[in-house]
Amino acid sequence: MKALILVGGFGTRLRPLTLSFPKPLVDFANKPMILHQIEALKAVGVDEVVLAINYQPEVMLNFLKDFEAKLEIKITCSQETEPMGTAGPLALARDKLIDGSGEPFFVLNSDVISEYPLREMIEFHKAHGGEASIMVTKVDEPSKYGVVVMEETTGKVEKFVEKPKLYVGNKINAGIYLLNPSVLDKIELRPTSIEKETFPKIAAAQGLYAMVLPGFWMDIGQPKDYITGLRLYLDSLRKKSPAKLTTGAHIVGNVLVDETAKIGEGCLIGPDVAIGPGCVVESGVRLSRCTVMRGARIKKHACVSSSIIGWHSTVGQWARIENMTILGEDVHVGDEIYTNGGVVLPHKEIKSNILKPEIVM
Amino acid sequence: MVSSMDEKVVAVIMVGGPTKGTRFRPLSLNIPKPLFPIAGQPMVHHPISACKRIPNLAQIYLVGFYEEREFALYVSAISNELKVPVRYLREDKPHGSAGGLYHFRNLIMEDDPSHIFLLNCDVCCSFPLPEMLEAHRKYGGIGTLLVIKVSPESASQFGELVADPVTNELLHYTEKPETFVSDRINCGVYVFTPDIFTAIRDVSSQTKDTATLRRVSSVEALQPATRNSTDFVRLDQDILSPLAGKKQLYTYETMDFWEQIKSPGMSLRCSELYLSQFRLTSPQVLASGDGTKSAIVTGDVFIHPSAKVHPTAKIGPNVSISANARVGPGVRLISCIILDDVEIMENAVVTNAIVGWKSSIGRWSRVQAEGVYNSKLGVTILGDSVAVEDEVVVTSSIVLPNKTLNVSVQDEIIL
Repeated sequence: MKALILVGGFGTRLRPLTLSFPKPLVDFANKPMILHQIEALKAVGVDEVVLAINYQPEVMLNFLKDFEAKLEIKITCSQETEPMGTAGPLALARDKLIDGSGEPFFVLNSDVISEYPLREMIEFHKAHGGEASIMVTKVDEPSKYGVVVMEETTGKVEKFVEKPKLYVGNKINAGIYLLNPSVLDKIELRPTSIEKETFPKIAAAQGLYAMVLPGFWMDIGQPKDYITGLRLYLDSLRKKSPAKLTTGAHIVGNVLVDETAKIGEGCLIGPDVAIGPGCVVESGVRLSRCTVMRGARIKKHACVSSSIIGWHSTVGQWARIENMTILGEDVHVGDEIYTNGGVVLPHKEIKSNILKPEIVM
Repeated sequence: MVSSMDEKVVAVIMVGGPTKGTRFRPLSLNIPKPLFPIAGQPMVHHPISACKRIPNLAQIYLVGFYEEREFALYVSAISNELKVPVRYLREDKPHGSAGGLYHFRNLIMEDDPSHIFLLNCDVCCSFPLPEMLEAHRKYGGIGTLLVIKVSPESASQFGELVADPVTNELLHYTEKPETFVSDRINCGVYVFTPDIFTAIRDVSSQTKDTATLRRVSSVEALQPATRNSTDFVRLDQDILSPLAGKKQLYTYETMDFWEQIKSPGMSLRCSELYLSQFRLTSPQVLASGDGTKSAIVTGDVFIHPSAKVHPTAKIGPNVSISANARVGPGVRLISCIILDDVEIMENAVVTNAIVGWKSSIGRWSRVQAEGVYNSKLGVTILGDSVAVEDEVVVTSSIVLPNKTLNVSVQDEIIL
């Protein structure tokens, strides 16, 4: 089976993290975002994944060789020379997605994190026999998104309504599709929107069905949602593979610690914390609702909450980091410093307090 | 006897590195700061072409922390263009401003120069190098510093010094003092005799018990042998301060302009200074026009020959337009730097801004700021490939590369 992951562009909403790495390679729960999706695809028998990208292909390709070898799955890139929208990349990658077997292929949006019930989706797709299946997820405020109006029992999609002013439904496009190869005949090789052009065509022909996504769903393309997404992910991990979470007297709630990370004495870690490879958390540190990325060091007595500490950064002794502080790669916060929502670009030293949210270039 | 006409001179320009000078962001996110265009030429071009005026210049070295490949193209192009050998030398680790000079002394001394100029790349001034050399020869010391008088309030940001009004000897030097010492400051342009290497060596050996005198080959110097602080020698605190008042160092005062290009806003100010200097030294470089065959030009303006500017546009004063930029009908540009491949559409206005490579400015849109060069949002900066849509107003803001603005913004940094 084949799959296409729409990686797209610059990831500007996840800056400053995406100033150091392209978005799919930014770590989430201690592994590159895109690896979560590639692993889920491999688990249902996908043997080739095509990444539709238009930014920094060289950086991506280096990492991908590594994943290819470790996961034993073929990974290729389809490079857009101009932005092709949400459907155009499928046409661009046509030759890679059609292998003559007639099997459907997956399309995933790279910003999305969820439980990936892909096996259930394959069953659903076979059962209804339509041309295309789409995952939808229930949200509280549907008018922020594109709402999928569907028949509740069969899941047959009637139409898409973009940001509806009046309530038409509470299910939105979750960015996970399973499509028959015939869908590619309906997509021209030009910038196209799958929601505005392709899916409405298929829905009109009664061929599009929607499955409600069980479990959590989050678009982690920006820091606030990244932090919420980690909470949802770790919650789900607690239910499915609790052994992966760390336990101990110094742990509260769901905490994921890489085996190469070191944690000192007298710390209190959690809830909803991820500590990446090679990190050092010295003694007396309090961490809650935060991500500490590869190679970072949190010095003694520091306190970090609701923040992201970028690769190889350091947080000084007695420092207090809170309220959506995002430290880019190689940022060093001095001892005793307080930062409240500082967004700091890579390779900086913070030697004075940041009292209210500000961007430090 | 070797006459002064046969004596060779070598110039060393310190260009810094990527993790230093983060103050120049976002302009330095995608290009090394020394290569950022000021008045139509890369920043480092201005000191390099000033060095060309030194009689018997044998070699120019650029010394910094950037990867070699970032300077490879530039260095070979400028060597060809100016017909003087320019070479980039990469420092393996920080040696301090004097330590860096010492680290490469073998290469510097290869041509057996009688004098060595040391310049900082981000200094903007008239570089009176031949005059400095002549003054230095008369003084007979081991070094001469370029100095300038500034306002007493601003002096504390720099190295303040006191010079003898008759002999011009450097009597006292102190870096960024808290209390007022003097309104004469160090411009960051120096000329030395090779004795400077002895002075630097003496400073570093003083910090170690055993003063072993070996000429370390440049290969050995690159080995990470003993990491000790003797490798790190700062020019200001470790050489200039101690040697002041010992009849070794002298000063040469410039009455022209002087600025440091530390922040993006200052690059606009320095562009203005260099453009007005072109008006005196090479006016043919500047643009002119009256709206008939080409656009109306007022004040000092540089337009790259490959740029296309509509005749109904009005450009200037203090505008630099780089290669392949396209300026549409009815556009007004005042005090700005327009980089390569930018497209500015009809009737747009850009004032007190720097527009990054490949950006596009929509019809009737307005990109503006107050023009306070040293303040964080005093000049609006658009990074590479920023799209400002029609009729949008961008005021006093910094926009990082690859963003599209479809609503007006003010006083914001947009990541």
